[in-house]
Amino acid sequence: MRLTVNGQPYDLAIAGHESLVAILRGRLGLTGTKVACGRGECGACTVLIDGKPAYACLTLAAACEGAAVSTIEGLGAAERLHALQQAFIAHDALQCGFCTPGQIMAAAALLAQTPRPTEAEVRHGMSGNLCRCGAYPKIVRAVLDAAQRLEAARGA
Amino acid sequence: MAPRKRPPAPARGASAPPAPTEAHRPPRFVATKVEIEGREETKIVELPDRNPQPWDDAAELHVVGARVPRMDAVEKVTGGARYTADVLRPGMLWAAVVRAPAAAGRATLDVSAALARPGVRGVLTLDDVRGIRLDGMQLLDDAIHYAGQPLCVVCADHYALARAGAAAVRVTVEPAPHAVNLEQALADGAPRVRSRGNVSPRSPRLIQRGDVDAGLHDAEVTITREYRTPVALHSALEPHGAVAEWEGGRLSVWESTQGIFNTRSDLAKALGLGLSNVRVMKDYMGGGFGAKNGASAAAYLAAVAARKLGRPVRCAWDREGEQTDAGNRSATVQRVTLGAKRDGTLTAIVLDATIPLGMGGWEAGPGRIYHELHACPNVRTSETFVYTNTGPMASFRAPGHTEGAFGLESALNALAGELGLDPLELRRRNYATADQSRDRRYSAKRLDECYRRGAERFGWHDRAARRATTSATHVRRGFGMAACVWGGGGGPPAYATVRLNRDGTADVLTGAQDLGTGSRTVLAQIAAETLGAKLADVRTVLGDTERLPFASNSWGSITTASVGPAVRAAAEEARDRLFEAAAAMLDAGVTELSSRDGVISVRGSERTMTIGEACNRLGDVMIMGQGSRGPNPEQTTIPAFGAHFAEVEVDVETGRVRVVRIVAAHDSGRIINPTLAESQLEGAVLQGLGYALFEERVLDARLGLPMNPTLHDYKVPTMADAPAIEGFFVGGADTVANHTGAKGLAEPPIIPVAPAIAAAVADAIGAEMPEIPMTPWRVLAELKTAG
Ligand code: FES
Ligand code: FES
Repeated sequence: MRLTVNGQPYDLAIAGHESLVAILRGRLGLTGTKVACGRGECGACTVLIDGKPAYACLTLAAACEGAAVSTIEGLGAAERLHALQQAFIAHDALQCGFCTPGQIMAAAALLAQTPRPTEAEVRHGMSGNLCRCGAYPKIVRAVLDAAQRLEAARGA
Repeated sequence: MAPRKRPPAPARGASAPPAPTEAHRPPRFVATKVEIEGREETKIVELPDRNPQPWDDAAELHVVGARVPRMDAVEKVTGGARYTADVLRPGMLWAAVVRAPAAAGRATLDVSAALARPGVRGVLTLDDVRGIRLDGMQLLDDAIHYAGQPLCVVCADHYALARAGAAAVRVTVEPAPHAVNLEQALADGAPRVRSRGNVSPRSPRLIQRGDVDAGLHDAEVTITREYRTPVALHSALEPHGAVAEWEGGRLSVWESTQGIFNTRSDLAKALGLGLSNVRVMKDYMGGGFGAKNGASAAAYLAAVAARKLGRPVRCAWDREGEQTDAGNRSATVQRVTLGAKRDGTLTAIVLDATIPLGMGGWEAGPGRIYHELHACPNVRTSETFVYTNTGPMASFRAPGHTEGAFGLESALNALAGELGLDPLELRRRNYATADQSRDRRYSAKRLDECYRRGAERFGWHDRAARRATTSATHVRRGFGMAACVWGGGGGPPAYATVRLNRDGTADVLTGAQDLGTGSRTVLAQIAAETLGAKLADVRTVLGDTERLPFASNSWGSITTASVGPAVRAAAEEARDRLFEAAAAMLDAGVTELSSRDGVISVRGSERTMTIGEACNRLGDVMIMGQGSRGPNPEQTTIPAFGAHFAEVEVDVETGRVRVVRIVAAHDSGRIINPTLAESQLEGAVLQGLGYALFEERVLDARLGLPMNPTLHDYKVPTMADAPAIEGFFVGGADTVANHTGAKGLAEPPIIPVAPAIAAAVADAIGAEMPEIPMTPWRVLAELKTAG
């Protein structure tokens, strides 16, 4: 089947039971997407499928035929950081960083849907992404800040 | 090797030594005391040649103390950071674990169906790992000690195949009676959990000072309470896991661990290898919180499987394994009696505690904080540790003190109510100015400043005016506070090397690890400050036993205070060498040189050159400095302190508690990076909030099985639960502690959270909260009892 990840098409032979995250991490070497529960409870594996957030651990890879999958690796590289990535750094919205790719992808989905979220919308919209290090207060600030940065960039 | 005879007491502490003469050379290897996770250990230390001038509050520092961004943040936000979970080796097999489906009994395995499955390359059972013991238990034992105990491991080409293989293993259990809680373990005729009995042979552990009977006799007011705390699970997002690979007789292991050197010795011992034939690596790590302090069962299993099957093997716990078999914070039952004079002066503190440990783990115990936090001449604690058929405990962020603070600080708040005294005032009246339990001075203590500035920031004294301002009539507002103490002085041994490259960039090499705390950044800041280098030119390399000098486990909040001074000493030595070389180039005396922001300048002249230019001119001459951590000051306790103030809203119809705001004031000496320190502080407050309100491992006592081994059912705080947290640090450098002035800060801020929130809930509903987590049903039950 054909899987498009971060704009790059891949032709892969995929077994019916294989999850998207297993393919991303195990076959494509895209280990930025993390697995912390493997059962849809933590959000560490959040990716975008056609712009919508999805738990890659619960998504069958075979079901992504023809869809556009975006992962943290596609969001921005070290030289060209996405506004969300910049804001996460500026606000120190991470500690161990294990939840961070999922947090950022969930935030990207949230901002795509709601470009100017209120603080309550951020808290609600991202409450499915667990962070055991407790970076939440700074994540909220980072997401609100990134929303502003993106807005400013659009206006410019 | 440890010397047979205990060496004499240190000849000196942090102060400068007398110049050694041949006739009067002080001993080079001396003993010093180091407090780790609340336990004081005696360590041998080699006196460093170099004892930098302490950075006191007047020291002019530019990089240390600056809010620079976390140095590995770019890797973390781009997905480039490699965790143990991301390590893939060519030809690597994946292991899946078969776990005991009962809490006690004997297991018989039939692995034939598993071996016949596609992609399955082999299994490990008891016979493969005989003699490897963890927490006193044989690995893969067929005698079942707790539900979730590993019984067998299936290795296959992919994880999904390994799991399918594991599911095909037939496990037959010949059941036996179990004891999974205190009631069952202490009942008459209880099944034997461990061969030597159900109560730890060291129990009861009795620690006392003064005469509590006389103290209670002198008391004008006495209160007695019983408090209960739950089993809490670390729930780090990266589960325990390791990858092992053999090359001839040499073993390489990548493990998600807080201690690479501990892991190395554990593995070498179990596998009969020399230490230099085992290499343990750990780069990024998805949290530990105390549960990853040596080789995990996963590491032993990966190493043995890789040897048996001749291929690299990854063995990692899945989430359910992590929530049942990766350590936990012990539950406690604490019966507390306090005696006091009418004016609040404490005359006696008595604790009688029972702690179910699970199958083992160390005996942290809630008792010690009762001796340490408040002044009182008469204190007695008795702790009884009980074995149960559940997974062993593992230290969890301020183990013992976090549990103990809930009892002690809740009792103190109850006493304040009884006396009609402000809880803060009661604490001030019992302010300890020295370490009474060990009869020593403190290196520094600024808890009074935490009290004052915390109360100010919170508006503690005008809280009454804010009480009525809740949104709805069924919502009541309350306020509470609590304090903490924790040993955060760190100590030796710890070593570092600082190496200047030809382009002037610097590598800081030390075998410590960064759990997500920010050690990588903080150590680079210390090196950059000392070298006068640009921070961006300094890189910290951690987590490799083969390439790096020893540093101890990252536990007990000791890393900055232990490794920081070693890094500073190493950087200072490198800088001195650099200056010697640069002096000739700049035609100046060594003492005329100074460096800052990557530029070396000559005092009183315009002549300058960059560190890069100097290094480049030296060609391949490598400037290097070595540093080590010196001894701790004699007869001194080096604690960190803090005080928390909580505001909550309680819905008296549903019993739901919402924490609105926490103000957390802490004294941890010099703060190397306030931004990262605040991140630690906020994270600890959130973990404490989870402990106070939601987190509790639930077991079915009849079946002996865990009921909530998932992140869905074991509730950790989410973003929606996060209150406003105002965390800050008071005071300045503790130069008695060590020459950087920094002390530990990662654990203290979890300690006072639960009692502060409990006090606020009690204040809101007019009923004390004797048990955490304060779930809606517990709140409603207390409301009902209170009428
Ligand atoms: S790993 Fe997918 S939701 Fe937790
Ligand atoms: S930063 Fe560690 S889990 Fe979120």
